[in-house]
Amino acid sequence: MSEPLEHWVSTEPFDPGRTSARLSKPSTRYLEASQARLFWWRFKRHRLALVALVVLAIAYLTVIFAEFIAPYGVATRNTQHIFMPPQPIHLFHEGQFVGPFVYDMRGRLDLDTLQRHYTEDERRPRPLRFFCKGEPYRFWGLVEADLHLVCPPSLGTFFPLGTDRLGRDIASRLVHGARISLTVGLVGVAFSFALGLFFGGIAGYFGGATDYWIQRVTEILRSIPQLPLWLALSAALPVTLNPLLVYFGITIILALLDWPSLARAVRSKLFSLREEDFTAAAEMMGARPARIIARHLLPNFASHLIASASLSIPTMILAETALSFLGLGLRPPIVSWGVLLSEAQNIEAVALYPWLLMPMLPVMVTVLAFSFLGDGLRDAADPHG
Amino acid sequence: MMTMPFVRRMPRVAGLALGATILLVASFIVQRADAAYVEPPVLAAAVAARELPPVDQRIPAEPLVMDMPSTGRQTGDYGGSLRIIEAQARDTRRMVVFGYARLVGYAPDGTIQPDIVKAVDVEEGRRFTFHLRKGHRWSDGAPFTSDDFRYYWEDVVNDKDLGMNGLPRELLVDGEPPQVSFPDALTVRYEWSKPNPYFLPALAQSLPLEIARPAHYLKQFHKRYADPAELKQRVADAGQRNWVALHYKLDQPYKNANIDLPSLQPWVLATPPPADRFIFRRNPYFHRVDTAGHQLPYIDEVAMSIAGTGLIPAKVGAGEADLQANYLTFGNYPFVKAAAEREGYDVRRWRSGKGSRIALYPNLTCADSAWRALLREADFRRALSLAINREDINLAVYYGLARPSNDTVLPGSVLFQPSLATRWATYDPERARALLDGLHLTQRNAEGIRLLPDGRPLTVVVETSGEEGEQQDVLQLVAEDWRRVGIGLVVKTGERDTLSRRLNTGSTVMSIWAGLENGLAHPNDSPAELAPTNSDQHQWPAWGLNAESGGKLGEAPDLPFAQKLLALNEAWRRTLDPAEKASIWRQMLEINAEALPRIGIIADVDQVIAVSKRLHNVPQTGVFNFNPGAYFGMYRPDTFFFAPPGARTAARDGEGALPQ
Repeated sequence: MSEPLEHWVSTEPFDPGRTSARLSKPSTRYLEASQARLFWWRFKRHRLALVALVVLAIAYLTVIFAEFIAPYGVATRNTQHIFMPPQPIHLFHEGQFVGPFVYDMRGRLDLDTLQRHYTEDERRPRPLRFFCKGEPYRFWGLVEADLHLVCPPSLGTFFPLGTDRLGRDIASRLVHGARISLTVGLVGVAFSFALGLFFGGIAGYFGGATDYWIQRVTEILRSIPQLPLWLALSAALPVTLNPLLVYFGITIILALLDWPSLARAVRSKLFSLREEDFTAAAEMMGARPARIIARHLLPNFASHLIASASLSIPTMILAETALSFLGLGLRPPIVSWGVLLSEAQNIEAVALYPWLLMPMLPVMVTVLAFSFLGDGLRDAADPHG
Repeated sequence: MMTMPFVRRMPRVAGLALGATILLVASFIVQRADAAYVEPPVLAAAVAARELPPVDQRIPAEPLVMDMPSTGRQTGDYGGSLRIIEAQARDTRRMVVFGYARLVGYAPDGTIQPDIVKAVDVEEGRRFTFHLRKGHRWSDGAPFTSDDFRYYWEDVVNDKDLGMNGLPRELLVDGEPPQVSFPDALTVRYEWSKPNPYFLPALAQSLPLEIARPAHYLKQFHKRYADPAELKQRVADAGQRNWVALHYKLDQPYKNANIDLPSLQPWVLATPPPADRFIFRRNPYFHRVDTAGHQLPYIDEVAMSIAGTGLIPAKVGAGEADLQANYLTFGNYPFVKAAAEREGYDVRRWRSGKGSRIALYPNLTCADSAWRALLREADFRRALSLAINREDINLAVYYGLARPSNDTVLPGSVLFQPSLATRWATYDPERARALLDGLHLTQRNAEGIRLLPDGRPLTVVVETSGEEGEQQDVLQLVAEDWRRVGIGLVVKTGERDTLSRRLNTGSTVMSIWAGLENGLAHPNDSPAELAPTNSDQHQWPAWGLNAESGGKLGEAPDLPFAQKLLALNEAWRRTLDPAEKASIWRQMLEINAEALPRIGIIADVDQVIAVSKRLHNVPQTGVFNFNPGAYFGMYRPDTFFFAPPGARTAARDGEGALPQ
């Protein structure tokens, strides 16, 4: 009654590769891709992070070429144009396309109210010049140059974001301020990052007494109130020092106080990683602790490190802004976004000269960009994402 | 101005008729001797309840009658609360300045006139006889008599415990104290063997020398009068070390922080400190009246709010002040003015009485030997001054409305000469460079800054105590100018107290401050500001300390021009001849202009004043100065009153006319 089951035997020759699944082209690419490439693919999916990356790239290009991009020098004053509102840029003059140009601004001081009123003189369009010779400067304080991205018309002015109480161009000051605001924080972050990795690394790897003492030191450092310390430092440092140098010094001291949180994260991660087989293997092969920590252990949680670094940069930028705003950080004649904001810290700016509050915008944009970028980086570095 | 004739500046008059006894009596006519005074409604209830005597019995029998119409004022009416804003709780002291009731006080024309006292007789500039007003009472109703003067003289300054610091400087002539006598209850006499031109101005100052203290109140804290057990208990209750400390703490009329201390001011503190809103109530026994039978002040109370300095312009713009000048700077004018119509106040510009709005003070006695040597070179100071483009500062910071000037007297003072204001104060960077080269400051560093002989860069640290952005802005422009002649400038911001400590130890190289206090000086005003006489003088604190301490502390001036200034100041004190006084003043101003111990930058920056449209009798124009002037005090805030705007015509300039 039992019929043999129907079966089928392929007559084709035996192919050893047949045992594993046949892969589509994309999955092959996926499997063969390097870590960095995988990272980039995942990062690309995060659109906001991509935009943030572009924004920050532009911002740091501005930092590098500040003198070239800014139409005026950082302290260039124009006594005829004090507290002038943003100067509009036009394209059409009397219905005709002229290209980007401005009109002359005529200022009049109202002797009753002591307000300056500016009107556009629409008789003559003054085209803006691009890649032009303008106010001379020393590029990075080193090379004499006078090439600018955009220059004011030869007989006119170009204040796209208006001027402040001494007739200085807000736009140029923003560009120059970016150089300080966007870079000073990086130094602090880099320094505290290095310290955090080092102390977290040895505490986590060696454990025991080393760990105990490093933990106690971090606890003490975390308990030091930072604002009074900052106050005392800014009062104690001699004023004849270059103010930028003073601020640099203060940032580094703050970085000395800032590493414990990162060190803790590193330490706890290393506690688990040092028990892994690959660590034991490295030890067996005679690797020194420094090599084991740096080459075998830390790369295992690079995603966390990258994210934490990219998120602490905006904190530093905000700290600079906040402290300069309070008059504790940078001071004039150094120009940073915080300094610009602290100069707008009065009722007149809010009521009469709102364009002085402009530096808020780049601060917000950069801080947001860094946050989105950090988000994207974390998602991209997380293998389970 | 008032119904009494001016009391002339005593020394001038004395000089005209030396040796003669000149009787200066405020020969007013009590126009309403028999008329009933009008009871302020706010006090009517207390009078009805017999807590206060009626107004006729509270006003002195011989009050100071202010004739409103003849001084360009209007006769007002009682009532209202005057809102002012100050920055610190300690600013209750402002009401002592604002009220400006003094034994004798400055009038807007610069003369000193009797106020609390009925008259002063001055003989030979050395014998001063005060006649008190009959029936005058302290704010608590106790009689104000010569016993209050006696208490100060015998039981305060000459008490071995309370007076351990010795007599105030103004009461000593060549170290010699006065003979003080009290012939009767209404007469007090101070007498020296030589003229004392500092005595009446000290009484009239904004921060006055108080030679009458409320004996009836203070006796309960004085060892000589109080019951020992009670006094001990009071000292313990107050948590003080001993009775001297307690007496000192309670008897600080200028500080105006003791709610129980009887006063003679128009408004008396009614809110115990600390608080963030202080009320000052009318003094029911005030000695001034108007011709219509009102007891002054017209305004019932002053309400002083305390707010942050940065917030005060915003509060004024929100209509939260009826009369405000302090903490309003010229830069606030556009904002304050923009809100004026909406909030119903006027914005006025009063002239500043200071010699300079902003002046640089090179410290000729600074501790750093290299800097001191350089700062003592007149050519160095001149070079610093010539390198400053004052007109540009005027345009950039002051709308071009101020006056570039060195620190000297103002136009309007009889002592003013145009050359004083412009000498070494024109913009001439070429000449500045030549002067600096002439001092062998020719070595420069990589940044183009000249080097001191010891190799340090010539970077001047200018110390400021100002939260004011204005000083910072001016310094920034000065830094630009100086850089062009190879001198660096950095700003060090600190607290006011820190600055004065650093000045005393010679740590400061240069500081920035306002210029001469008395810019509208008259030959009869003391020229001490121009000479090294006071350790508060930023340009030579150690020399000033030397003069203050009678040679015991500090350093004696060792530059000829400073010694000459001291000698001239001394000569001014000794002479009674007005022509000689004027000549001494001119010489001292000349030396100051030539040697340039202070580098004035800008002068005649007006004071911005917000005045409610409901507030009347505030002059349209005036001089706003601390001393002499007492800010508003000289214009008699007790005559200001509230009425609906437009109900009466605005006060004319009248008393607001500039002195001289």
